[in-house]
Amino acid sequence: MAEEVRVVTKRMREHTEDSWTLQRVLDTGGYDGARKAVVEMAPEELGGEVKSSGLRGRGGAGFPTGVKWSFVPADVSPKYVVVNHDEGEPGTFKDRELGERDPHQLLEGMIIAARAVGANKAFIYCRGEFALGSRRLDQAIRDAYGAGFLGEGIFGSDFDFDIVLHRGAGAYICGEESALLDSLEGFRGQPRLRPPFPAVKGLYGQPTVINNTETLSTLPHLILNGSEWFRQWGTEKSPGTKIFSVSGHVNRPANYEVPLGTSLADLLELAGGMQNGKEPKAIIPGGASAPLLTSTDVALDFESLQEAGSMLGSGGVVFMDETTCMVRNTLVTTEFFEHESCGKCTPCREGTWWAVKVLERIEHGDGRQEDMDLLLDICNGMDGRSFCPLGDAASWALRSGVKTFRDEFEQHVAEGSCPFGGGERVHVGARVGATGLGEAGITSQPAAGIDADSEPEAAQP
Amino acid sequence: MSDGKVTLTINGHDVEAEENRLLIDVAEELGVYVPRFCYHPGMKSVAVCRMCLVKVEGSRKLLPACATPVTDGMVVDTVDEEAVDAQEGMLEFLLINHPLDCPICDRAGECPLQDQTYKHGPGSSRYIEPKRTYEKALEISDLVVLDRERCVLCWRCVRFSEEIAGDAFIQLIDRGAGTQVLTFKDDPFDSYFSGNTIQICPVGALLSKPYRFVSRPWDLTSAPSVCSYCAVGCPLTNEARAEKVVRCQALPNENVNDFWVCDKGRFGYHYVSSEERLASPLVRTDADEFEATSWGRALDVVTGRLRTARRIGIIAGAHLTTEDAYAVSKLAKKTLRTSDVDSRLQDAGAPYERAAALSGVAGSTATLNDLESARTIVWVGPDPKEVLPVLYLRLRKSVLEEGAKLIVVSPRRISLDAIATHVIRCDVGGEAEAVDGLTWGFDTAVAGDVGDPLVVCWGPSSPGRDEGPIVDAVVALARNKNAKLLVCPPHAGSQGMIDMGVHPSLDPGYTPSDSRGKDTRGILQAAAAGELDILLLIGADPVADFPDGGLVARAFGSGVFTVAVELFPTESVAHADVVFPSAAYAEREGTFTNLERRIQKLEPLTAPPGSASEPWRICSRIAHGLGDDWGWAGFNDVWTEIRATVPTHAHVDLTWAGQESRPLSLHYESPFQPDPTHGRSVSAGPGAGYPKGHRSGAPFHTGQNWPLSWELRGFEARQRPGIIPSRPPEPPAGDDPVSPAPAPGAPAGDDAALRLIPRTDTPAGGDASLRSGTPLSSAFASEASPSSAKGWSRTGGEDGDSPEVKAGKSGVPERSGESSPAATWHSVEDEFPSFSEGRRSFVLYTGRLLYDEGAMVSKTVALKSLARRPFVELNEEDAKELGLSEGDEALVGGNGVRATLEVRLGDIARGAVFIPYDQPGWRANSIIRGVNPVVEVRHP
Repeated sequence: MAEEVRVVTKRMREHTEDSWTLQRVLDTGGYDGARKAVVEMAPEELGGEVKSSGLRGRGGAGFPTGVKWSFVPADVSPKYVVVNHDEGEPGTFKDRELGERDPHQLLEGMIIAARAVGANKAFIYCRGEFALGSRRLDQAIRDAYGAGFLGEGIFGSDFDFDIVLHRGAGAYICGEESALLDSLEGFRGQPRLRPPFPAVKGLYGQPTVINNTETLSTLPHLILNGSEWFRQWGTEKSPGTKIFSVSGHVNRPANYEVPLGTSLADLLELAGGMQNGKEPKAIIPGGASAPLLTSTDVALDFESLQEAGSMLGSGGVVFMDETTCMVRNTLVTTEFFEHESCGKCTPCREGTWWAVKVLERIEHGDGRQEDMDLLLDICNGMDGRSFCPLGDAASWALRSGVKTFRDEFEQHVAEGSCPFGGGERVHVGARVGATGLGEAGITSQPAAGIDADSEPEAAQP
Repeated sequence: MSDGKVTLTINGHDVEAEENRLLIDVAEELGVYVPRFCYHPGMKSVAVCRMCLVKVEGSRKLLPACATPVTDGMVVDTVDEEAVDAQEGMLEFLLINHPLDCPICDRAGECPLQDQTYKHGPGSSRYIEPKRTYEKALEISDLVVLDRERCVLCWRCVRFSEEIAGDAFIQLIDRGAGTQVLTFKDDPFDSYFSGNTIQICPVGALLSKPYRFVSRPWDLTSAPSVCSYCAVGCPLTNEARAEKVVRCQALPNENVNDFWVCDKGRFGYHYVSSEERLASPLVRTDADEFEATSWGRALDVVTGRLRTARRIGIIAGAHLTTEDAYAVSKLAKKTLRTSDVDSRLQDAGAPYERAAALSGVAGSTATLNDLESARTIVWVGPDPKEVLPVLYLRLRKSVLEEGAKLIVVSPRRISLDAIATHVIRCDVGGEAEAVDGLTWGFDTAVAGDVGDPLVVCWGPSSPGRDEGPIVDAVVALARNKNAKLLVCPPHAGSQGMIDMGVHPSLDPGYTPSDSRGKDTRGILQAAAAGELDILLLIGADPVADFPDGGLVARAFGSGVFTVAVELFPTESVAHADVVFPSAAYAEREGTFTNLERRIQKLEPLTAPPGSASEPWRICSRIAHGLGDDWGWAGFNDVWTEIRATVPTHAHVDLTWAGQESRPLSLHYESPFQPDPTHGRSVSAGPGAGYPKGHRSGAPFHTGQNWPLSWELRGFEARQRPGIIPSRPPEPPAGDDPVSPAPAPGAPAGDDAALRLIPRTDTPAGGDASLRSGTPLSSAFASEASPSSAKGWSRTGGEDGDSPEVKAGKSGVPERSGESSPAATWHSVEDEFPSFSEGRRSFVLYTGRLLYDEGAMVSKTVALKSLARRPFVELNEEDAKELGLSEGDEALVGGNGVRATLEVRLGDIARGAVFIPYDQPGWRANSIIRGVNPVVEVRHP
């Protein structure tokens, strides 16, 4: 029987009633890591520890965190730390839960990161829809100031540290780090031309470290226990534990923290297996951008998934059974990207628009034999040619849908209708929620419903 | 490589280039054109259209050539299979939502998207769904029409507005496939530079309202020209259909205008083909009517008068060319032997000659490029955005892009305040003291930012006022800080007039005249006093322009025999006895000398109306009629003589650097050749050459028709840099009686007095020193001045000072019958406040707005409606004391004239009002009397 390894999710799972309060946090060892980082360790030591731990960013790209920090020039000030809490990847809801249920753990991680790179100010860019999460974060920041964990001379040291909470306005693109910075500065949320990279010239033109919520939430434990301790889990190149958001046709959709390298089959087992004893037909392993898998026989780490032709991404895992129309799934995913394309560059703006039109035709029985090749051509036009990874991601999802399930596409064209009895023509892009799914006959119910302003059901698996 | 150069390979050719240059530019100079839509060399790269993706060895992805700096050893393939696939794919993407309405699109025929599609695109589309649609042809301003369906979202217009013009009236709204370029609701595209977005739009999304549906590009003939409005001298192409100028676009010259021109320059061509143009000589009949006549008869009348006239005054307008200026100068000083000649009307109070105290040049020693390398720029003058708009862009670029510090000295808020490091808000006339503060470091906070290299800019601001003390202070600052000086006269021909000696105390080449003649005011005063036999107005309209309406009325009222050379029947022409029709700038060969003394060439495009002719030719014929045959048959004869006669211009060679008379290069097929004199270093690759252009013949040649858009024309045009004539020899070092040099540490005592009273204790010098006998003038007279130039002047100062003008102790002439400057200032200082009758006197500070009632603009349909109504701008406190608020009407009076004007509250020095000089409905010069005028303002 597969088991979770709860490091980052430990407090929230053990104290579901008040894991976000300062009292509970202090009772459970909270801020010990941050205190150690500020009082006992030199900034270089912090960076060294994180570097040797091999911690990789949990937002999607998997870039080694310690290496990212090392790009920040030492002799420029001010520097900033920015938390990418704009979790928008369809199928992913881990950062949301971390923000809602353990906001202090995030603040602690921010203190450590700021200390390591020499920043005295940090920003949390919170996804606009995270109403509860932003309230909890706001309260946590106030409490932390009250306790002397933020502000001037924290933990009695000479280190000053301030945090500003900023709520986004609801755009997926603002999860892309340079678009996030533009949005944070008050501009239209669109990616910036790179180089210069944010580590050199980021927020307000100053060196900026941008880390994902889960990445930062890992730091207190890593600093407190050391890199060797951290490396007891995971693989050589993908050490540590990782939270996977499991949804789709599974019995217990929720966030599960497991060591990297755990097999997809074990994760499915943790989630209670497929509904009605069915077999998974398609699996999205790392958020909507990740190419589809058809087998659960793969290890969940950066390298293995890449070998399998997909990616770990943000860890949003969606299982779909054989009742799912893969044309409709591809359509819904592509509509998401079309809706969220910022419009800055030609291939993403026009390519997603065009692909949605073609997919709609196929799904509704107006497809042509040449449409599948046309879709692949559109993918080629976007992949690697877009301004930022959004266009790439759109092309990966689309290409994998067409390539992996080409027979289903051809069946749609041959029969002139959707063999799954696809419903009426609806444009769902505007209301795609946390998973980007939900229209394909899937009864996917992620643990935290997308009606974000209410207290979610306790997501105990 | 260590010398800042890198070597790379592009399509198999080795190229050497400066590091950090963009690949797209380096390739282009090699002759390899990478297709692009969003890239524009005048703006920062955004790399959004993804059209310029190229293969770079070692890079996993294709790289956008517009955002990739060249590096040493880089191996680039722009025609790699993958790159071409990307380019073709991008084109297909752009076309899916682009309407196929080329047959009704103005851009068709010179459209980069169309050109690229002919070159790369498939014959048909794989896109079968309905296209994105928007409401077509939105009029987003009085000049610009927007068609969002055609837009390819390259951002050029948006970037231009934000980055270059700084007035972001046009923006992107919405996102994804719904992204649109649009203006804000209820907020038109109200920019002085909006037309540039039309020119740089790579499709027909932004259209010129005046040019819309007027012509096909292949039906146009065109000729390079120079803007005839302001002294920046932006190079242009004029384009004509059926002998009528129908369009005008900026020609890029990175030394002058970068890639831009203001809307006045761009849309202000209608006047050329106005029905109101004068087309034949006119003479006044005994019945006091004008009668069209022959040139022979008109010339006979004029020469007959001139033969007997003893007292002759000549006023030339500042929109004439350098050759016209030379001809006027020669007619006056050689043929008619008078120094009573001047070109200063609105800038009548501007003693440009005093700038020569710095270096012998009565003009700029700085170039526009010097602004960009300056650490500090000091601006003392009018609002450049209103008067010299493209100079405003250059200043903005210098400050925002190049990091220069800007110190603005002005009595009222001007556009530059927003980007200035320091704003010194002085009283009207207090500029001189403020500049002295910089010179001697009184204001330590500001003075600390006066760095080296320093460029000091001065331009005459309020028409009519005495700029002498300001010029002296500016010159002293420049001298003290070893700075360069940028003199900013107002009009396209202003500098040429000074250079060629259309000036009462300067001969051609800044040589001091042997005798000092009357300036414009002196000439008009002489006329008013009945002491003038004949008045020649050559492109001059004193009724509209001279800042003393009463004096002009008295001058013409005296019945002086007046000869006018003009484009239009102006109000001054109405007073004339003989009128000669003049050719406009698009109808003639010639040169303009801009404010940095750069000489740029005009080419004729259309024929002048009737028998209208160039002013230089008219001067030459008058001289011929007086028995002085100048032997001029054409433009080249004038230039040859200017080179032989004017020392500063001896080395100006108009055939150099593409300045020879020829049609614009795009009209014939010329292989591209990198210009070795071009500032950037790229060695040409073998066989470098552009494909031939389709505009050489009317029909398209599919597959051979690129690149031909404006970028290419611009590129070739950048090889027309113009020439800045050399300075005359430096005056001897050491002995320096010219510099007004207060002793350091002696800041003239009483601060309160300093604020308003002009410096009557200015050390003797200034223009007095230019008369004769100073080291400066002797240096020219004995060493540099050719005898022919010297020979022009009447010898012996028989009327060095006219009876009306006597030198005050400051060296500033005091005019009898006019209040002296000092008295004026004292009255402002001492007699206020006097609110007893709810009225108050104010120092009048006026200035031109870009769209005004000038003779050329007001005959230009597209711009006429843009001119604002006149208004009076008051300081808020002053307005409050008068019981006036924003939008009220106020009664403004002066010189016995009254007007009701709308009140605007502004950031202006207390005790001063700003009234625009020449707006429709009312001319401010009617209330100006004398120099440094005062007006009364009260509640109506």
